[in-house]
Amino acid sequence: MSTRLLPRFKADLGELSRIRDYVTKTATGLGVVPTALDGLRVAVDEAVTNIIVHGYGGPGEITLELSAERGDLVVRLCDKAPAFDSANEAPDELNPDDSRTRPGGFGLYLMKQAMDDITHRPLHPGNELTMIKRNVVDVG
Amino acid sequence: MSEDLQIGISREQGDKQITVMRLSGSLDANTQSELETKAKEAIDGGAEYLFLDMSGVEYLGSAGMRAIHAITNQLSPDDPGMRSDRLKVLNPSPAAGKVFKTLGFDSFIDIHDNVDEAVAAL
Repeated sequence: MSTRLLPRFKADLGELSRIRDYVTKTATGLGVVPTALDGLRVAVDEAVTNIIVHGYGGPGEITLELSAERGDLVVRLCDKAPAFDSANEAPDELNPDDSRTRPGGFGLYLMKQAMDDITHRPLHPGNELTMIKRNVVDVG
Repeated sequence: MSEDLQIGISREQGDKQITVMRLSGSLDANTQSELETKAKEAIDGGAEYLFLDMSGVEYLGSAGMRAIHAITNQLSPDDPGMRSDRLKVLNPSPAAGKVFKTLGFDSFIDIHDNVDEAVAAL
């Protein structure tokens, strides 16, 4: 039986910059095309921010795993915060009038726009958020 | 002040009270309050118009957009949430510009290439 050591980050907004750098470096190493990197950074940043602010609201830890699976990039975030299903909270559409008068849901909307598939699984305790961006890994 | 966001502030000469804030680095949930604080200081100090030069913003997230929305409301307190001609965004980086467009902010905040163009639009 083998045990994988996944990258762990403190649930602290001060870690966001380091997490985005990790995403860029790891995704590039996996062969993700450069044009997909901005969206990937946005999706992970917003998801991690949600975990820190709405999940833990205090000290905690987040594991972040990126993997390439048949041309797709899979991002898996795990925490031990109370259950928070951001995948189902994300709005499908954002009306500019809503952006102007009622700022909210921006982060979840950006996640949904950046990724092709987002799923949440409760871990008891904690959460697993899996985000997939299809056909962005150069397998050539 | 965070090392992740740098804010340079200058005032334009002329008959209008214009403050230009040159942002560089990351505008995220960790740094949004720095922008809001600096903008509030400028507005409290008499700035009627704020130009945000975002050419150096390498990362812009939803928290940064909420900060910009809050600044818009501070500049136009009698019209919260309405279009504000008192805030202009200058030359956003491609990553920042994409977030603006995705969230529809480009429909109610003017984006210009430079200060002169923004001043001419007032």
